[in-house]
Amino acid sequence: MSGDGATDGLTRRTQNSSRELLAKAFFFGCAALSVATTLSIIGLLVYEAAKFFTISAPLLGIDGPTATLTEFFTGSEWGLQGPNLGVMPLVAVTLMVTIGSGLIAIPLGVATALYLSEYASERARSYLKPALEILAGVPSIIYGIFAVAYITPVLDTLFGVDGLFNVASACIVVGIMILPMVASVSEDAMQAVPDDLRQAGYGMGATKYDVSTGIVVPAAASGIFSSFILALSRAIGETMAVTLAGGSLARSFDPTSLASYLSLFDPDSYLEPGMTMTAAMIQLLTGDVTGGGLAYRSLFAVGLVLFVITLGMNVLSDVIARRYQEDYQ
Amino acid sequence: MAKQTDGVSRRTFLASAAATGAVAAAGCTSNTGTETDGGLSGDINISGSSTVFPLAVAMREDFTAEEMHPNVDISVNSTGSGGGFTNYFCTGDTDFNNASRPIKGVEEGQCSDNDVTPVELKVATDALTVVVNNDADWFGEEGKECLTVEQLAEVWSAEDKPTTWSDVNSDWPDEEIQLYGPTDASGTFDYFIEEVIGEEGSHRTDYQSTEQDNQIINGVANSEYAIGYMGFAYYSENTDRVTALGIDNGDGCVKPTLDTASSGEYQPLSRPLFTYPAQSALAEEHVAEFARFWLENSTSESIVADEVGYVPNTEDERDEMLDRLDSAIEAASE
Amino acid sequence: MSGSYDGFGRVSRRIGKLFRGVLFASTLAGILTLAVLLVYVANDAFQPLTADPGWHLVFLLTLVVPTLATGWLSYRRSYGTLATGLLGIVMPGIAALYAGGLAALFIDVIPTLVWLSFVIALAIPAGVIVALRRTDRSVPFLAELSAVLGVTVGSLLVVPGLVQGLPTVPADWMVLVLTLGLPEAFLLGRWIEGRWGRRDGWIAGAAILVGSAVGGVVGMVSGFGAVPGVALTLFALVPTGLYAAIVVRERPDRRIGLLLPAVIVVGMVAGELLVGALGFAGPESWVDWSFLTSTTQSGDPRSVGIYSGIVGTILLMFVVAAIAVPAGVGAAVYLEEYAPNTRFTRIIDVNISNLAGVPSVVYGLLGLGLFVRYGGQPTGTLLVGGATLALLVFPIVIISAREAIRAVPDSARQASYGMGATRWQTVKNVVLPRAFPGILTGTILALSRAIGETAPLLVIGAAQVFGVPDSWTSTIGAMPLQLYVWASTYASPAFYTTVLAAGIVVLLTAMLSMNSIAIYVRNHYEQR
Repeated sequence: MSGDGATDGLTRRTQNSSRELLAKAFFFGCAALSVATTLSIIGLLVYEAAKFFTISAPLLGIDGPTATLTEFFTGSEWGLQGPNLGVMPLVAVTLMVTIGSGLIAIPLGVATALYLSEYASERARSYLKPALEILAGVPSIIYGIFAVAYITPVLDTLFGVDGLFNVASACIVVGIMILPMVASVSEDAMQAVPDDLRQAGYGMGATKYDVSTGIVVPAAASGIFSSFILALSRAIGETMAVTLAGGSLARSFDPTSLASYLSLFDPDSYLEPGMTMTAAMIQLLTGDVTGGGLAYRSLFAVGLVLFVITLGMNVLSDVIARRYQEDYQ
Repeated sequence: MAKQTDGVSRRTFLASAAATGAVAAAGCTSNTGTETDGGLSGDINISGSSTVFPLAVAMREDFTAEEMHPNVDISVNSTGSGGGFTNYFCTGDTDFNNASRPIKGVEEGQCSDNDVTPVELKVATDALTVVVNNDADWFGEEGKECLTVEQLAEVWSAEDKPTTWSDVNSDWPDEEIQLYGPTDASGTFDYFIEEVIGEEGSHRTDYQSTEQDNQIINGVANSEYAIGYMGFAYYSENTDRVTALGIDNGDGCVKPTLDTASSGEYQPLSRPLFTYPAQSALAEEHVAEFARFWLENSTSESIVADEVGYVPNTEDERDEMLDRLDSAIEAASE
Repeated sequence: MSGSYDGFGRVSRRIGKLFRGVLFASTLAGILTLAVLLVYVANDAFQPLTADPGWHLVFLLTLVVPTLATGWLSYRRSYGTLATGLLGIVMPGIAALYAGGLAALFIDVIPTLVWLSFVIALAIPAGVIVALRRTDRSVPFLAELSAVLGVTVGSLLVVPGLVQGLPTVPADWMVLVLTLGLPEAFLLGRWIEGRWGRRDGWIAGAAILVGSAVGGVVGMVSGFGAVPGVALTLFALVPTGLYAAIVVRERPDRRIGLLLPAVIVVGMVAGELLVGALGFAGPESWVDWSFLTSTTQSGDPRSVGIYSGIVGTILLMFVVAAIAVPAGVGAAVYLEEYAPNTRFTRIIDVNISNLAGVPSVVYGLLGLGLFVRYGGQPTGTLLVGGATLALLVFPIVIISAREAIRAVPDSARQASYGMGATRWQTVKNVVLPRAFPGILTGTILALSRAIGETAPLLVIGAAQVFGVPDSWTSTIGAMPLQLYVWASTYASPAFYTTVLAAGIVVLLTAMLSMNSIAIYVRNHYEQR
């Protein structure tokens, strides 16, 4: 986007040589590829998922078993035998992982951001920030192995876990994984708070504690909030760690009853196994996949739900983040 | 090169150039072409049953050993019998599909739509094994733990869906049953429905379902009130971690062992295991050779029984299968 | 502004100190948790406690104490001296890893004769381009383009067959000397010529060429292997020697830092000889030569190896880089240098940041649908896996390349335009060279993300038991996939604390080595 004004006139004459046009076309093609990627994701997910639903499948010439939208969104069981095609039991466990990992990542992440932004020396920052980057860089399959091999035994000693798989260990490793995202996005927001505000606080006799909690955090609130959403959307899309740690038990969950929502906050239910949307997708892969059967189509239906949720959260976080940028610029 | 010297004389340069030339001359060989010497080479892709998976892996290991055919690249995927047929084998993506049940009519139809002709080869006999935790003491005294076929069906069928053990038998503990089993893509799952639950019934879905049978062992070993079922091979590797239940089919309790499975006493859960090469793939020498190798070793006590944990074929069975394979190879190469 | 500050009351420092302490503890919580987990993994992988106490004592005396002492001495001299020494030991270590990977490719995947034939086939059009550049610029662009394309296609069609049909051909290691050693000798020789003068450049070039051949002969004679010998010489010994030479010549004040790597190497060799002589048993480490080089797959943790996974990962990374880097950098150039400030540009903008947030398993679905189901490719192949991972890192490459391009000062562009350069010339001659270090850093970081991805590979149907691939359409495995298979298909406690720990060590080593290269490149060019 640079070089728009002054240089345009100078370069116009040579701009239309075939070499220039070819170069431009190549670069444009690359950029367009990113749009094509998005369109293919959306198109593929919608098209394949449409074959899964009773309402649209006949239009696409599918005569195999299908699911109604009501069944899919209000069914209380997940399983491909019989009429059990509710996605909500999977969404519920995904929500549990989101809540659990958020409980770890959000307080720790904000505290980390505040420390790095307001308290840490330049030298401490130069060591802590790369260390935090490593937390985010460790592959999720490794976190899954950590959860099963090292964290579940600890949970077992502390709380008595029944069996090898549980949601709690998944929450812990996913929490560690998304912590750096909360920390770095929140820290950026805190750094963007103009120093004038801090000086004004000190000028009124406020302590560093007062300034941090009373000025910096509120002023950066929208950025901090957007970091939560961004990090939680990562937790929702997380696959390997929750697959290895959480197991593959499709819980039953009745989306029409209040009690089942309350059970999401019951600590005991975190000590039991549970299958998230992503874990169910991995499990479906061992089933009837490329042949185009029910499992293949349901895979895309679940994928579509996952995509819509994470996309929605990304857009939301973007909108919130843009607001705070406008505040101080 | 680190040190500063007083210039390179022409002589030094020439000497090093000559040395390079000499080494280069020494570094030439006569062209033997790019194909590898001796042995067969090529890719073989295998999909299908997790029950047959360990057997296929053992055969792969021996076939690709250094003194055999190290240049044959065999990949094995545990996809479940049905998953393998519909997704990989009948679409022409894999050369073999393993199955813990015979191929279904629908699958045969799908295969023939794509011009894939499966050749059924029996490679071993399995005892589908029901396992519980070592601490579970309500199934009978130690060494004689037992379950009737009716009780087994009740635990796993979608109709009753007992949540606690006391729902099955009021003398048993009032604790939640933890269920571990194969996914619906598995031949073991199909076989279990057919023989235990019955064709008209359906299998419950609220259990930990996995195509990785060791996960079933792990789950059961770690939870006192758990029950699971899978192929005998996985149990035989873990006899100290979980307890296999005897099955009472009306004629008293029979524990799963290689002996009771081969004699047919262990009913209704002893079953044949198959691999299905695609006839067209057998036209390639390395594929045919691997199929023959597998069958020839299907009678091997040491590989099939000791290393993997299934009942080997009898020699008659092997000869019958070899005949079938030979005629398929002949048909393929025409 | 919240809070009320009415009046200057007594201010207690206790809350402030407590708060600071809590923040600091929170910052360390995640890092320490990971550190503890890694200590457990390292303990399970290397089993240091299984070694004789005498073994530990010997290495303490020959390696640890001298290393610490030398390190302390260098640090006393200056921080830069210590850094010089550390780089002197880390760089050869990482370089040796990559040389090993390269050797593995030439031993197991790419027949050297095929490689040679394609190098020659591509060298011909490269020569044509150079020749065209040398002539006066009277050739029209389109004619030049079609000439180059024609020569390339023709050469690729004819030359490989000719070369592969020759009666006498260079041996495997000689091919590497010719195809890799010769260019390296030429390029480094030119670089040194520019730095220290013509004569030194010639010496260095000749030394590299001769050295690589000697490495091959030594490798062959010693039984280490001729191909690894050449690879190790070219990509580990030569850079290390060059580094040492640069330090000695240009930073005499830091010369003493080079003592550190020397002490470490001598200490390791001495320790190894001593424990051998004294008969102390080393630890029964799970990360050993047979684990790294075995392709065995079985239910017995003692016999399995990760070699197929390593080779699979290397090949996947080549495919990912070949697709994602040109496309990603191209998109970044368009957005930064060409794109008009329109609605469409803003859509692309938003779209890219959202693409980066799409869960990896969804990219797997994209690959499955696009390449396997509708593209007619077989499941789980090298090409499908690489293309799927390339789509996954595509937005990451774009974002980091854009940052790098944006960091190029506008004055540089204006100067180029002022000299009458066109936009493409400016991009090619000014923007991309300046942004190169940043793009390189971003690319390596993107690849280090791709190296750990498992879910997309599972979704596109990669196999659980796989061998070393030998073509584009071979079923492929990768290191993280191998870990998943051990953790699920072979799940048993015997796997979790043994080979899985060893596998984690190998995967993390690969990943961290990439990250440290990226960080080094970034810091090196930031200082300029």
